[in-house]
Amino acid sequence: MTASSILTSVRTPLKTAIQGVAANTYDSVPESPIVPFAAIVPNTPYLEPSFLGKGNVKLKVNLVMTVGVAIYDNQSALDNIEKLVISILAAIPSGYEVGDISNPIPLNIGASEILACEIQLSTYYTQTN
Amino acid sequence: MATTVITGRDLSVTIATKNYNEQATSATLSGDVTIETYDTLYAKAYRSIDKQWTFDVEMLADWGAADSLCEALWTAAETAPNTTLAVSLTAVTGAVFAFNVLPIFPSVGGSSPDAQTVTLSFTVVGTPTETFS
Repeated sequence: MTASSILTSVRTPLKTAIQGVAANTYDSVPESPIVPFAAIVPNTPYLEPSFLGKGNVKLKVNLVMTVGVAIYDNQSALDNIEKLVISILAAIPSGYEVGDISNPIPLNIGASEILACEIQLSTYYTQTN
Repeated sequence: MATTVITGRDLSVTIATKNYNEQATSATLSGDVTIETYDTLYAKAYRSIDKQWTFDVEMLADWGAADSLCEALWTAAETAPNTTLAVSLTAVTGAVFAFNVLPIFPSVGGSSPDAQTVTLSFTVVGTPTETFS
């Protein structure tokens, strides 16, 4: 039996679940994201051991989903990011705790400016094999 | 002598032969000792007259899961409320406590959007038996 990983058990399923609502999805930090996008990246603290025993490694995994849209004009950018966030919230699968969503702020990535916000997410992971 | 540290990762809990390590985040066995104080002409006298043990468990709810611990506890509390369940609590290798508890209903639900958790406070029947090696 193949050993599990956080990538295959947590981040990729989350990315797959939101692929239908976000044009570009990433399960790790993208070097140059293409808007509109949603990127699943580690939060801090990232991994929290919180269960009894040492037989299995079980962890709480804290993630941030960074959501970004183009910022051609403020009003439409805010409207676009609100719609994208609401679509993503509806698509997040069960088993993931959904926390607060940060206020959208302009970010410079390379030569382009985007409007981005962060969705706090948590779930639990068990290492197998 | 080097300082000894044991943590929750050293704990292991079994209730009615089911291991709870996969879901439990906390397990505590505690004893409440009733001590009477007598004022005598000579001095105060103290006497331990009763002990009641409690076993507290905090765990993530697992309703609906295969071999669900919450469902097993619910069924036991519903069908055999006066039949004790055997518990084994290993504090660390070499320190094992065995005792019996009466089944109780786990709480259902929680606050949105957090993971549903269950807090259980079992009444221990009798006195735990310790095995130190």
